[in-house]
Amino acid sequence: MRNSLLIIIGLAITTNTPTPLPLSYPSYFGNRIYIPADNPVTVEGVALGRRLFYETKLSANNRISCATCHRQEYAFTDGKPFSTGVDGTLTKRNSMTLANLVWVRNFFWDGRADGLEEQAATPLTDEHEMGQALCKSAEKLQAAKPYPALFKSAFGSSHITAEGIINAITQFERTLISCNSRYDQYLQEKYQPTPSELNGMTLFFANPNPEKQVRGAACGHCHGGPKTFNELFHNNGLDSMPGDAGREGITKQPTDKGRFRVVTLRNIALTAPYMHDGRFNTLEEVVDHYSDHVQSSRTLSIFLQDNSNTTHGKQLQLTAQEKKDLIAFLHMLTDSSFITDKRFSDPFKNK
Amino acid sequence: MIKNLIASALLVCIGYVASAQAYVQVTGEVSKTLKLYEADIAKMNKVSVSLTDKDGKDHSYTGVPVLDILNNAGVTTGKQLHGENLTKYVLVKCADGYQVLFALAEMDTALSKKTIILATRADDKPLPEGKGPFRLVVPGEGRPARSCFQVVEFIVKFAKD
Ligand code: HEC
Ligand code: HEC
Repeated sequence: MRNSLLIIIGLAITTNTPTPLPLSYPSYFGNRIYIPADNPVTVEGVALGRRLFYETKLSANNRISCATCHRQEYAFTDGKPFSTGVDGTLTKRNSMTLANLVWVRNFFWDGRADGLEEQAATPLTDEHEMGQALCKSAEKLQAAKPYPALFKSAFGSSHITAEGIINAITQFERTLISCNSRYDQYLQEKYQPTPSELNGMTLFFANPNPEKQVRGAACGHCHGGPKTFNELFHNNGLDSMPGDAGREGITKQPTDKGRFRVVTLRNIALTAPYMHDGRFNTLEEVVDHYSDHVQSSRTLSIFLQDNSNTTHGKQLQLTAQEKKDLIAFLHMLTDSSFITDKRFSDPFKNK
Repeated sequence: MIKNLIASALLVCIGYVASAQAYVQVTGEVSKTLKLYEADIAKMNKVSVSLTDKDGKDHSYTGVPVLDILNNAGVTTGKQLHGENLTKYVLVKCADGYQVLFALAEMDTALSKKTIILATRADDKPLPEGKGPFRLVVPGEGRPARSCFQVVEFIVKFAKD
């Protein structure tokens, strides 16, 4: 009798448990991923998170959602140097792409948020972004069908909490994996790059060595590996007197002045304008910067100092053709299926 | 006069900001967490080792054996480095976020023949700005990839797999 009661209770619990959703990605991305033990990715959580990502009720004026500044067609950026929040003011920095976040540990341009859960609270409550206290958001959702039922299936209770909102959104964000670019197809031996793309790829990863006649653009030191980023903070020579202190603002160490997080270059052709302040409108401008206009300063990355294709040169000095090749490679990182994937699209539009 | 006052006030401010000093920490499986500033490192015993740098040339680096630093933090080295302590590792973190890994045994000259140091000088000159004040120098490796710049922390942990 006792046993069968236990079994019945057990069954009731299992049927209410959300279904785990395994993330799938190529092995060359590695498994150094970050998913907190208390927020596993589930089918129900992700479905709710997707809806919340596009939900304008989470903003004080009911007009802004995450997707306002992170639009799928731009690989979850917004095409602007700075974005406009609820109070009409501009954000301090450029919106960031949301791809392959499950491999990132320190979020934002200056790495100030330790983990996605901590990150998500910022845009929701920041007065210049969505500007609404989490308890207010929970209250609004509690009164809005079908949210209580969706929270119940995702977290087992129809009582909506701040933590539930954040956990659902971050579960959805962890599924935003981009791994079907032509570069991926090349890595999986399904695509033969053009000669220009191949040369661009070689330049991207090679360190210049004029003595040995090796040409290179040395991007790979920072944007290395198939993920196209190493989680590092560097000053990439935008200014000799950085206007934005970047990482120094967090660590208070003068050696971190003008250092920013090395970001992924996946879908880079879709995410203009570029850099933390959106200063470059095109990839041509970006490549010109690295080739010819790296500004020296006390904190300029050691990897960008005197790294040149000419003996004793100060700048990379790529040729016009090399710049074109490098850009051809950067275009290989565009994943058109990522920006059209129905799993990531606006659920209020594509019913 | 007022100008002078403002100027000296500014100087004080600048002096204050610049004094945010670099340090290196030892944390994790330690008997006491250490935070060493340049002045602390300066007081410790120094040795010199040679490293073939990226330029393909040998350079002489001077600094403190990492083993001494770990010992000061009470890490299980020497006679204590046996049994489960042999499953400990040291994760070295740098200011730019770069990280490299060692088995604790690699840091202990009782087991490993090479002396890994936390260098403060190269060829008898202070380290250049982007590499100092503390650079890890690991002699005898094919590529200087683990001889990392601007070290900020040694984390000692058990491998638990
Ligand atoms: C008003 C525009 C705006 C809105 C609304 C907004 N963001 Fe952002 N987002 C930004 C900007 C700007 C940054 C970079 C800010 C910085 O680094 O200081 C950013 C950065 C991020 C990052 C960091 C990515 C990385 O690689 O570090 C994540 C994740 C993110 N946003 C998710 C969200 C989520 C989830 C929401 C909704 C809850 C949201 N954002 C709403 C503008 C916005
Ligand atoms: C020393 C490290 C380093 C190297 C080498 C490097 N980058 Fe970067 N890159 C960064 C950092 C840091 C940022 C972010 C800087 C900022 O916004 O202030 C960045 C940003 C970018 C961006 C803008 C990303 C965005 O979302 O806005 C592009 C594009 C880029 N790099 C391309 C390249 C290319 C191409 C090369 C090789 C020619 C290269 N990088 C070499 C560190 C590096």
